Amino acid sequence: MATRTRLARLWPLSKPSALPLIRPYHSYDHPPPPGPFNPTESSILEAAIPHIPTHGFTHTTLSIGASDAGYIAASTNLFPNGAFSLVHYHLYTQRLALAKHQHIISPPPREGEKPIGIGGKVKALTWERLMGNKEIIHRWQEALALIAQPSHLPTAISELSSLSDEIWFLSGDTSVDTSWYTKRASLSAIYAATELFMTTDKSPNFDDTRDFLDRRFKDVQIVGGTMGSVTQWAGFTATAALNVLRSKGVRI
Amino acid sequence: MVFRSIVRPLLRASKPQYLPARSPRCFSKSARLTESPSQPSNHERTTHFGFETVPEAEKEARVAGVFSNVAASYDTMNDFMSLGIHRLWKDHFVRSLNPGSSSSPNSPGWKMLDIAGGTGDIAFRLLDHATNINNSPSSTITISDINPAMLAEGKKRSLATSYANSPRLSFLVANAEELETIESNSIDLYTVAFGIRNFTNKEKALREAFRVLKPGGVFACLEFSGVTNPLFDAVYKRWSFSAIPLIGQLVAGDRASYQYLVESIEKFPKQEEFRDMIKDAGFMVPGKGWEDLTGGIAAIHKGVKPIEKP
Repeated sequence: MATRTRLARLWPLSKPSALPLIRPYHSYDHPPPPGPFNPTESSILEAAIPHIPTHGFTHTTLSIGASDAGYIAASTNLFPNGAFSLVHYHLYTQRLALAKHQHIISPPPREGEKPIGIGGKVKALTWERLMGNKEIIHRWQEALALIAQPSHLPTAISELSSLSDEIWFLSGDTSVDTSWYTKRASLSAIYAATELFMTTDKSPNFDDTRDFLDRRFKDVQIVGGTMGSVTQWAGFTATAALNVLRSKGVRI
Repeated sequence: MVFRSIVRPLLRASKPQYLPARSPRCFSKSARLTESPSQPSNHERTTHFGFETVPEAEKEARVAGVFSNVAASYDTMNDFMSLGIHRLWKDHFVRSLNPGSSSSPNSPGWKMLDIAGGTGDIAFRLLDHATNINNSPSSTITISDINPAMLAEGKKRSLATSYANSPRLSFLVANAEELETIESNSIDLYTVAFGIRNFTNKEKALREAFRVLKPGGVFACLEFSGVTNPLFDAVYKRWSFSAIPLIGQLVAGDRASYQYLVESIEKFPKQEEFRDMIKDAGFMVPGKGWEDLTGGIAAIHKGVKPIEKP
């Protein structure tokens, strides 16, 4: 009787095909998954990035990048999404570059100074990310046009959510309740709005953008505070109403 | 009832098993011989010709027979069979390749090779795109086909284009598995549209493509593939196995060739498998490696030849 009992599988054995390109959490124990670009693609895109201020987010920039990296113009066929690959690469590399700002993430403790809180770190990192667009901000509207195309929108949105997750994570946020979601959603909204504002900002050192960003963070604090108060009031009222009904003999 | 009595013979004609024994499917007789108990000697390498198994040495001649038969009515038939969609596929294929694009205004242009390009419809599109969109009048193309009848059709058609007798367009009768006349590392773009299915040895043809391409050059293939949606697949199978041989009989007067066509489509490796064949030949594939057209009836496969690291 060599019949082996077989455990019912809840899902079919999946083929060990490709590694997942994104991991929805940060891990200290495992190396990060490979990014969306292989080494060849990265080398072409990396060579193309310096040409964006002159040639914009276009196929020409890709071709120049390919020839700078030792490839030929035909090799741009490596990028099925064409110029959007440049946008994606910019979003991806700028997001990863945030982890380099160690003076914000873990500042050296100073005598007689209060250490910077999570909120302050979030603000500082968001500003650093916006400054990552400094060189190409006059071309960013081209990128936004590409992002808005329906076939590219999912990638762009997931990059935005990864960005806000990255900022909160690097700032040391450890929330495990619904605020995990609201924090990320509100930061995404603030970032997207400020980035759009920045495309038309002509002030020196982007001072207007800075003010705009500060106002948006204040708005969120006010809205968040109000939301908290409303929730508290609604909870209290509901409990009180329940107790009144119970005191009248209603069985609930 | 009247309708039925008209339609039934047509439907019946569309099913292969109702074919009279003396049908023009001259190939099937010899195939039956090869499939009979007295099998061909085992050491003879075989390949498939539609659903039949034939010795490798024989496939080339048979494919030649098919395309010699259909050369003249080739495009009319394509229009009927695909309801005109093949033109959209070809346009999309060429647009996605963006031939003639360059990083500097005075680049030498692209050197392209259109394999199995007989009637030239891909080649003329490639040249049009390079000239009109990317302003690259120096891009050139070689149309290669194993079948002189198909190539003659292409030459005839080229006379109606602006590339007639120009140095930008050349013709070459050659087997895609042995392109001796073409130098290694000399081609920017290698295209094969609805052709690789008929090759006797696809791996060898892919290796040959890898050889002739410049480092960084692109292999691009437009070919029938597997429909991904099972419901649509059922409808499509009905269409291809019943209607296409029938249309072939009515329009081109040649049922056997179109029976072969649908069988060879069915036999051709599906998307993932063909992608892996391209990878095995040494190419890098962009993204997942292919793009489905019309739910996977056709697919565009691409591969880029890597540059040697200095």
